[in-house]
Amino acid sequence: MLTAEQNEQLTQVEAGTPMGEVLRRYWYPVAFTRELEEFPVKRVELLGDFFALWKSPSGRYGIVPEACPHRKASLAYGVVEPDGIRCPYHGWVFDTDGACTSQPAERDNTQFQERVRAQAGKVEEMGGLVWAYVGPSPAPELPRFDTYVMDGYRDIGWADLPCNYVQIMENAVDPHHVEFLHGRYFEFVGKHEGFTAPASFGKEHMKIGFTAFEWGIIKRRVLKGATEENDDWKVGHPLVFPYNMRVGGGGIHQMQIRVPVNRTTTRFILYTVHSPDGYEHVEQPQIPDYELPVFDKAGRHVTNYVEGQDMMAWVTQGAITDRTTEHLGRSDIGVAMLRKMFREQMDVVARGEDPLGTIREKHERIDLPCEKDKFHAGGAQFALDFCDMGSTRFSPVLDTIKKIHISAADKIASEKAAAE
Amino acid sequence: MSTPVDRRFVADAAAHRRDVPRFCPGCAGGLGMATEFWEAEERRFYCSCTGCGWTGEITPTGAVATGHEPEH
Ligand code: FES
Ligand SMILES: [Fe+2]
Repeated sequence: MLTAEQNEQLTQVEAGTPMGEVLRRYWYPVAFTRELEEFPVKRVELLGDFFALWKSPSGRYGIVPEACPHRKASLAYGVVEPDGIRCPYHGWVFDTDGACTSQPAERDNTQFQERVRAQAGKVEEMGGLVWAYVGPSPAPELPRFDTYVMDGYRDIGWADLPCNYVQIMENAVDPHHVEFLHGRYFEFVGKHEGFTAPASFGKEHMKIGFTAFEWGIIKRRVLKGATEENDDWKVGHPLVFPYNMRVGGGGIHQMQIRVPVNRTTTRFILYTVHSPDGYEHVEQPQIPDYELPVFDKAGRHVTNYVEGQDMMAWVTQGAITDRTTEHLGRSDIGVAMLRKMFREQMDVVARGEDPLGTIREKHERIDLPCEKDKFHAGGAQFALDFCDMGSTRFSPVLDTIKKIHISAADKIASEKAAAE
Repeated sequence: MSTPVDRRFVADAAAHRRDVPRFCPGCAGGLGMATEFWEAEERRFYCSCTGCGWTGEITPTGAVATGHEPEH
């Protein structure tokens, strides 16, 4: 339970608010690489602000606020030119640094280019996603988390959800929900729809734990039949502050991304890499992206797959869940810890310091701790459940993914047999 | 935009706010955040001070101090 003021502060994303200022210190994926290859300019909403994102013919990316500094027409309808984005209305041009390089309607002696500037952000491409930083300069480095740079076969599922991102992040420090939402509830849905829910999800939690670390919070669990020696406890997996969670197991690596589009809209992205032991490189000229079903035709949540269940829970909590009337228990202690972390980072940023997870050194790759033997279900079994029972079932490359897991497992098995 | 109040639970909200700890037991500064939760009979607040970093739980006990019988 929080006071109304605390809830207000915690859930804000807008510029000038304490949390909005924290959020502006991070890079966000704002497009699929594919999108700008198909059409070179995109209107982007991020943290409650609108931007024009473009890719020049030479492959340079740029991002500026949507409204043209001249008379506010949308630069997201601009003309992409070699040296920048040209406003569709009167032709002013802005380069990737936000400098105005042309005011064609003005005579040479009446131009005032030096006096106008668009507040340009920074843009980089990584792993099939286009990433933007729109906060104060100097921009930190884009963190190259393992998932985005490792070898493997990728796909990207996504959905835009009508709720605030904080309640989604609170789910990332809520291990117990798995046993009910993806266990008991899944079983109930399965019984009525005629399928068998995966047994490993319903295992009882004996113990949960949380550890703050340099990138966020590591979540740990001991499930019934396991000990603290199992990966679920010993390794766990992290909430990557402030808007990601790294999960995986059975040769699957995933970043669950929750981009605060505005205060009550969150883009949920499942960035998945399949690279089981024995994986042989498969060429992927373009990473497929696909929209996940959230609602059915009747407006009911689609809850016969894992992430559909999560989305149902997050969205039904309300656009901005009212934390003045909730009833937390001891099992919600991870949620309390996360709120504390958000609150601390507001002060850190207000003091002018870099918040948690800011990286300013050049680097190749950041490895995050993540369990391999998830739910001690046995790797291959977890991978197959993951494909059939999770969002991957909607992937346009589902067949290829399954083949990759099966042939990798075969390869390992035959290598083992040969060694014996 | 301010956070909409969930009308289904307004009376409850007032009851929760009644005795939220407001000051840090360590440095007496304002508490950054006090998250209320329950543990069996006890109503607890997970608190952290943004001033001095004090982090802990505060449990209102009411007027009765409960002890337990020593061995004898
Ligand atoms: S039991 Fe947790 S929201 Fe209902
Ligand atoms: Fe979940």
